[in-house]
Amino acid sequence: MRPRVSHARRSYATATKADLYDVVVVGGGPAGLSLASSLRSSSVTNGLRVALVEGFDLAPGRNWKPEPQTFSNRVSSLTPGSVGFLTDIGAWKHVDRDRVQAYHGMQVWDGISGSRIQFNWNPSASETIAYMTENTNLVHGLLSRLSELGGVEVIDKTRVENISFGEDNGELDLRTWPTVEITGGRKLTARLLVGADGANSPVRTFAGIESRGWDYDRHGVVATVKLAEGSSLGIEKTAYQRFLPSGPVALLPLPGDFATLVWSTTPQNAAKLKTLAPTDMAAMVNAAFRLSHVDIDFIKDLDSGIAGEVQWRESVTQFDYTRVPGRVVGVQDKSVASFPLKLRHADTYIGERVALIGDAAHTVHPLAGQGLNQGIGDVQSLIKTVETAVQNGQDIGSVLSLEPYYSEQYFKNHLMLGVVDKLHKLYGTTSAPIVALRSFGLSAVDAMTGLKSLIMKQASGGR
Amino acid sequence: MSSRLLRRLPQTLPLSTPLRRAPLAFPLSRQHSTGSGTSVDPTEISHFDGLASTWWDPHGSSRLLHLMNPLRLHFIQTCLLRGTPVPPTPSARGTESVGADPIAAVQGHRESEEGGLRYLDIGCGGGILAEALARLKSTRSVVGVDASSGVLEVAEAHRRMDPGLVKGGRLRYENCVVEELGGRLKGEERGGFDVVTMMEVIEHVPHPHAFLYTAMSHVRPGGWLCLSTISRSWISYLTTVFVAEDVLGIVPRGTHDWNKYLNAEELEGFFHAQKNWGSGGGMVTMGCMYLPGLGWKEVKGGEKVGNYFFGVRRDLE
Repeated sequence: MRPRVSHARRSYATATKADLYDVVVVGGGPAGLSLASSLRSSSVTNGLRVALVEGFDLAPGRNWKPEPQTFSNRVSSLTPGSVGFLTDIGAWKHVDRDRVQAYHGMQVWDGISGSRIQFNWNPSASETIAYMTENTNLVHGLLSRLSELGGVEVIDKTRVENISFGEDNGELDLRTWPTVEITGGRKLTARLLVGADGANSPVRTFAGIESRGWDYDRHGVVATVKLAEGSSLGIEKTAYQRFLPSGPVALLPLPGDFATLVWSTTPQNAAKLKTLAPTDMAAMVNAAFRLSHVDIDFIKDLDSGIAGEVQWRESVTQFDYTRVPGRVVGVQDKSVASFPLKLRHADTYIGERVALIGDAAHTVHPLAGQGLNQGIGDVQSLIKTVETAVQNGQDIGSVLSLEPYYSEQYFKNHLMLGVVDKLHKLYGTTSAPIVALRSFGLSAVDAMTGLKSLIMKQASGGR
Repeated sequence: MSSRLLRRLPQTLPLSTPLRRAPLAFPLSRQHSTGSGTSVDPTEISHFDGLASTWWDPHGSSRLLHLMNPLRLHFIQTCLLRGTPVPPTPSARGTESVGADPIAAVQGHRESEEGGLRYLDIGCGGGILAEALARLKSTRSVVGVDASSGVLEVAEAHRRMDPGLVKGGRLRYENCVVEELGGRLKGEERGGFDVVTMMEVIEHVPHPHAFLYTAMSHVRPGGWLCLSTISRSWISYLTTVFVAEDVLGIVPRGTHDWNKYLNAEELEGFFHAQKNWGSGGGMVTMGCMYLPGLGWKEVKGGEKVGNYFFGVRRDLE
């Protein structure tokens, strides 16, 4: 319709020949890799053209050769629901199962009153609460699955430099299609751009979606620890979590005599813990599960002799040996690290030709071990949404197609964020009436088998 | 003025099915308001053009049409399951899956395939159904026809936003009344389409018989004519005419002529009287309803009170 000189048009079209993809995933973490794998695994969506862009080098994850008796300090608790989905998309079989630890029991107690709640699945039914899995193990499994499937263009060691919109070249109007410019100047134009690019998601920024929340003024200290030999014998493994006024401390089982620590505490405490010698650090962890919070506060400020002090105070403190974790005897070299804890929730997960998954959409307090599971839940929901859209001949990037993903996940995640946040706040107090109330609640829950199993079903993402 | 009122309709009315459907039917009806292209009222078309801009707005006046689309595909699939225009042959694409799922397929790169189906969408509007059909892997091509040039501009502009629809002539629009369509068809299209669709159209046509004959002439032997409309019941009278037009006045008076509504039995009776149509189970009626919170759902017996789909197959020769 518009008059146009023919040769000019030709050169214009050539110059702006767009590199078109049905789905471009930004971010090669567990969420992004799960999405790419599931898109290729589904017979409905495997015709889509998919690219994944990741800033870091994925080779270490791909060629992961773990040392026996050594575990990464970045470990996630995968619910049976998440593992079921990873099995469905063919990734779980690529995860090194010898380095995954299932647990069947959970001990949670109040650090002030001692009220506790004990979760045990029926051992004969061998029901698993969660699977402790190193993140690198999962990433390795997902990358192996992706290579096995083929068809996804994985572009790593490449940063997203800019995201803009496509052009209208007269024949095609790509002005609603996000165009991702990567290092080296190449541009990928996406029918659907998925932000799996973490808490500071550039995709979310591009889509103009706000993320709101707050910082907890707490840091999570993680470490890989070794327990006294034989202290975690038997098939049944248990996770331990004690709520201290400064935050919960958790010890979660790894294979053999190993365990992973997640200790939420003040930034000052976290900084102090990171400076401790291994023997003192081990003593502090033992103290955290055994001594009174007043003792713990006192000991952590000592400049020297922590191990001896803990030993002495333990000998005069009464606690139930059968209900605390095995004694920590060593801390794996270089495994102590910390990160700030925060709560964030994006205003929405979708926009025209944009979807957010995982940490790009939400960041949760780690006390319930739900962060990665929420991300996998997002993938599970998004893939179902895309499948439905494809089957109904819809444009998978349109808001109308993406709406079911948003409505299914947003409120589910919001509830989880809220519950975990309230738990954090409830246990962050030493006020006597509140301690009495929360202890009564915990004891009451412990006495009610039905309610407990309901809570556990929620925690394990029952499907 | 009236278009603004129509746009507000889905948010302001109780969710009775025929009412929810009333604004949907209105725009689509324009091109068929008479039996010939010369008597289309220009003011009606300009009114219709006012609606066009929000056609693809997911929260606009056409939202309910968008939400209805999966059920439309489901109905077409239901019809095709009873018999395909061409008996499956080994050379036809996806022969094995034809029985299980004839039209649901994969989005993405695809070529026009020899075995794919040809569709004609009469009263295509902004292209909601036409685009969806064109994206299905089992589709060879789709022709959408509408008398309103304004709405076809919207449809065409939206088509250009999807490279998959631009490629290989999968989807094309023709701006004319259906009676004049014959002269614009190309090649094999002249031999008839595998499926001819008319969604929310027939209830606005003054001479439905003549209109049906025209549509039928574009169905190839073994192909299907699939339409959706609304029955003439006291409920549909109350909701679409009495409440919406006379009491609330949110739909301009005269939008619906209840007397023009066709009941399923009347369509069935009409096709029973036609030679070579609907033999051997080649006639399907499916009632449906918009249920708040659940969307459009198939409802058994729904054709007696409100919206329904009707499909009829032209016998194989």
